[in-house]
Amino acid sequence: MKKESESSTTNNTQNETKDAHNSSRRNFLKFGALGAGAVAAAAAGVTIVKRMEGIPHEEFPTPVNDDFTPFDQRNQINVFGNSKALNEKHPERNKAFNAQLKKEGQLGDKEFHFFESSANFMQGPYRDTPGFSQLEQALAHAGFYSARQQLGGGSMEGPKHPDSVSHWRQDMVAEQKYQFSNPKEASLAIKSAARMFGAARCGITRRDKRWDYDPMYDARTEKILTWEEDFPFEPKTVIVILVEMDYPAMAAAPSWLGDATVGDAYANAIKIAGQLNVFLQRLGYHGVASMNDVGLNAPYAIAAGLGEGARNGQIITPTYGPRVRISKIYTDFEFVEYDPPRTFGVTSFCKNCKRCADSCPSEAITFGDPSWEPEFSTDPESLWHTSKGIWKFHNDSRKCFKFWIDNDGSCANCICSCPYNKPDFWHHRLVDAQNVISPGPVHSFMREMDILFGYGAVSDPDTVKNFWKLGEKI
Amino acid sequence: MMDLTWYILGVLTGGALYGTYVFSNRFKLNWLLLSGMGAGAGLLLFSIAWGVGAVLEGVPRAGSMGILLFGLPGLILLTVTIRHIISKKEVAR
Repeated sequence: MKKESESSTTNNTQNETKDAHNSSRRNFLKFGALGAGAVAAAAAGVTIVKRMEGIPHEEFPTPVNDDFTPFDQRNQINVFGNSKALNEKHPERNKAFNAQLKKEGQLGDKEFHFFESSANFMQGPYRDTPGFSQLEQALAHAGFYSARQQLGGGSMEGPKHPDSVSHWRQDMVAEQKYQFSNPKEASLAIKSAARMFGAARCGITRRDKRWDYDPMYDARTEKILTWEEDFPFEPKTVIVILVEMDYPAMAAAPSWLGDATVGDAYANAIKIAGQLNVFLQRLGYHGVASMNDVGLNAPYAIAAGLGEGARNGQIITPTYGPRVRISKIYTDFEFVEYDPPRTFGVTSFCKNCKRCADSCPSEAITFGDPSWEPEFSTDPESLWHTSKGIWKFHNDSRKCFKFWIDNDGSCANCICSCPYNKPDFWHHRLVDAQNVISPGPVHSFMREMDILFGYGAVSDPDTVKNFWKLGEKI
Repeated sequence: MMDLTWYILGVLTGGALYGTYVFSNRFKLNWLLLSGMGAGAGLLLFSIAWGVGAVLEGVPRAGSMGILLFGLPGLILLTVTIRHIISKKEVAR
């Protein structure tokens, strides 16, 4: 009996030891699985954060044909619209556009003329429509006031006005050149200065002749300007600045509130570019501050890694989406660390979203995929304002321009309705993170969710009312 | 305001974790029930953060949609899981 009891005790002890072993193995496996899960989640998080910072590229991320030629500034839509001489030289452009509008049933009561129709832009009369009263027009004029002062008294496109911030004088260049110890230090100094002056983002890229206007054109003086004879130095580097536009004002598109923040951002953008130009000149290097003149802003911003080309013809940047204005500084300083262009999955999202095209009142934005050539017309007289030989979304900027004139104020529906246009709140950054890793069908779903959640509505009268209540918060 | 929300959500998350620990010890929960409770509480807290964020940015519709789409499933999941745990305990008694 005693032996049996001893044997039973031994068996129990063995079983307990076995159970303890099994339990510790189970715990080991459980904690191992938990640990592996935590490591996998951390790795996924790091990957997503890296993707949100953009995938760096060695070359310009958009395919460009070898036969691509720089854009003639005389064909830029605002320059052509502001130039009497160019309108007189090219009557066929107005004629072809009117014929197209008539064919598409968009002509209206009278024929459109790029120069004559835009002569009294944003001068009234006031309207009963929300966002078009004297209050909003006064704000729009105030918004543009500083930009007009800085850019030379009216024209937004003249590169050589002696009184403007974007003048080409080099009379502040210091005799002694400041020597940075390494390119990274130089880039950091420039970006630190840009931050202090108020830039939302700053990128530095090499000067690329493909993105420079050639020839340049001053619509105010009706003069052609060349890089060889008129520009004061051989630029090596372009510093690109992004300035944020006000979200609540932009949400009221299309209205004069949108114009107010556009004008204000123009003023800030050219102010910063002008200050950085002086900074570079006082360091002993040449510089020219530029807003919309001298070169194309969007490709330079893409090259500087600040954003990606979008369906609406603008760049989409992390955090701000398309709600930015761009200015730049051309300089001969080249001892800098250049930023690589980056892609953030915007093109893929734009292919599926099409919300800007849906909300475009003039049907200027394409519903098609990126292409080498515009698809809206095959008539050579209708294609003078477009770039050819670059793989992108091609839009009809003439229709966009006409809507501005008809509306007596700019539009910005394509910015307002874009799902990337959000204020800087945590849940939008979460959605951004989801968008960079998800495939196309999810992007279409996210577009629908964006609508369902009440974002990006255009012509919403409440947005105007809400804008005028925001003063309570300051 | 959002900072205060994060603070309150932090306290609520701590409370939820402690509650789950106490519940787990008392009812001997398996991984499925623990996951149900965790997911339910997580969705509820997420919906609160979303709702407050959306209201603060001036888009109350996004706030209500967020609470509807994330908060409601969270509440249902949490309720079903807790009811299941309690009914199992009663059967065991």
